Amino acid sequence: MDWKCQIESIGVKIPGTRVTTSELMGKFKTPCIKKFGLLTGISERKICSPGEDSFSLATDAAMNCLSHSKYRADELDMIINCSITKYKDGLSHLYEPSFSTLIRNNIGALSAITFDISNACAGMLTGVYIAEKFIRQGIVKTCMIVSGEYISNLCDHAINNITTSLSSEISSLTLGDCGAAAIIERTADKRKGLIISGFTTLSKYSDLCTGRQNRNSPGGKMKTRAKKIHQAAISESVPIVKEALNKCCLSFNDIKWLIPHQTSRSSIIAGANHYLNCFGEKPGQIVITLKDTGNTASTTHFFALHRYLNERRFSEDDNVMLLCFASGLIIGVVIFKMNEIVYRYGSTN
Amino acid sequence: MGAQIKMVSVAQPRLGFHHVNSIRLSARAAGQCLDDASIDPCDIGLLINTGIYRYRNTGEPAIAALIQETIGVNRTTAKDTDNHKNTFSFDLNNCGCGLLTAIEIVEGSVRSGEIDYGMVVTGDAEPFYRLSNEFTFNPAAAAIILAGSGNSNGFSMFRTYSYPEYSEELVSSTFYSNEGWRGKGRNMLNVMQKASYPDVCVDCAVKSLFKFLDESGKTLDDIDLIIPSQSPLGFTDKLKKRVGMNGNLIEIKKTGNMVFHTAGPAFALKKVWDDNRFRNSKNVIFLTIGAGINVSLALYQN
Repeated sequence: MDWKCQIESIGVKIPGTRVTTSELMGKFKTPCIKKFGLLTGISERKICSPGEDSFSLATDAAMNCLSHSKYRADELDMIINCSITKYKDGLSHLYEPSFSTLIRNNIGALSAITFDISNACAGMLTGVYIAEKFIRQGIVKTCMIVSGEYISNLCDHAINNITTSLSSEISSLTLGDCGAAAIIERTADKRKGLIISGFTTLSKYSDLCTGRQNRNSPGGKMKTRAKKIHQAAISESVPIVKEALNKCCLSFNDIKWLIPHQTSRSSIIAGANHYLNCFGEKPGQIVITLKDTGNTASTTHFFALHRYLNERRFSEDDNVMLLCFASGLIIGVVIFKMNEIVYRYGSTN
Repeated sequence: MGAQIKMVSVAQPRLGFHHVNSIRLSARAAGQCLDDASIDPCDIGLLINTGIYRYRNTGEPAIAALIQETIGVNRTTAKDTDNHKNTFSFDLNNCGCGLLTAIEIVEGSVRSGEIDYGMVVTGDAEPFYRLSNEFTFNPAAAAIILAGSGNSNGFSMFRTYSYPEYSEELVSSTFYSNEGWRGKGRNMLNVMQKASYPDVCVDCAVKSLFKFLDESGKTLDDIDLIIPSQSPLGFTDKLKKRVGMNGNLIEIKKTGNMVFHTAGPAFALKKVWDDNRFRNSKNVIFLTIGAGINVSLALYQN
């Protein structure tokens, strides 16, 4: 039997330390960037304090997810860690064992199969793509996808290296830390299952955003040709989004919530306008959550879902589209109908 | 319809090259695999990279995307052609078991008819030249292409068994050291392996193997070949002594203390692929082991 899957619960961990955009701009020895907050729509971001790292963010998000779930940790069949950064004990990058193995041990999901994936900012949605495959084939019933992104150290590197507003490290200033987790479960209700489509890697653009570990200092660095990657993502994604909508017999008007990858407010709005020109219609609402968290890499979609669930913005049966753009260039679309998860979050007050 | 191995290729650095770019090495294995299989690169629907130790510890994009770009697999959406196919690629890390986990994902996609061909690539090399302690993994890469078999031949069963009590037997991570050249600090890779690790691996592998045989309804006598992981050092020797099988448990010749890591099972497969023993074996077991400790097994039937 071909099973369907749905999102059962979502958990998030936001670190406590707050850095405003004006504080960040104040760190530059010579002011070279103007109106950064206005252009990106980011007024602050949360960053890890000493003692916090990718591992602690991921573990706390997983625990938070379990607290909203009907499943106990020992009922999870699979755990997939999807983060780009794998920092444990500060800025020590862990290669082996896999991050997910240590998360499994920490949360007590000892019977779960574990492995890590890495697919830049598309990590968690790639996790959904893989979880759906394992659930559809009947191999597992429940799968937790989890990610802890400790990427604010890229910002520290950028501050020391940016000298003009044309620097390739400008995008690093949008980054904030976050952990997110979601449990994907098997469902027999085909109406509410996830529709996954259009996961495509357009490797021609793979050099437009690169991130790697520093050789001579802790942490990493990221270089982005922001304008080019934005243009490529928007123009190349149109046929992919169209195909995804056709696959589930929906038009853009039927999508109540579009959650794009959270990079900057101006690029999200420019993308939305391009879609309006191409499709001649627009989704109900485009979700932008980066004002007080910044771009949190692979966790952005689930952070946005978690926030809107807590704010009780979703209604059951709303169509939601998650749209990811990530360096590679990866374009992915996930469409689903909101289920009874909407009643388990937020307060009625 | 099952999914079978269409081709396997391996790559090692050319003589005299000490520091190797793991991405180039993996792309070389992948390109060779496509050539040997005579497959159009654009027919690859899914590409997964399972190497752990990557060139300069690249975090993004995924190494799989860089390999895809190097070998020219559907680099962009071709809006003008009707039969254009999309390729999706990503990295997967499951330590020594990564190759088999990726094969399981690709196998599912091929079996369901979602894609015609899928490729798993793996490659390890020291991330930064001479910035590591106890790094005993041979620079090596391998690629495997899977295709539909049209019948029940191919992979028929996958299982993973976990032993979380041994998760600290092998830990490898970077740490920042202030003792660099000219007072500059540097990020060092440190591989810490307990002396008991090979023995623990053999215990876990043997336990898992017999559990797997029970679940598949087979006995050891039914198995013609075992293709195991080649690390840690001494693992295959000790496994051979415990399981028997002698020549039918495939071992790769070692060079000093260096072992083949994630590409190890593919090197072993290549050995029996070239001498036709793989095609002539009815039941083959792939047995991979990695830090965690996780043991992944798969049954392959010809």
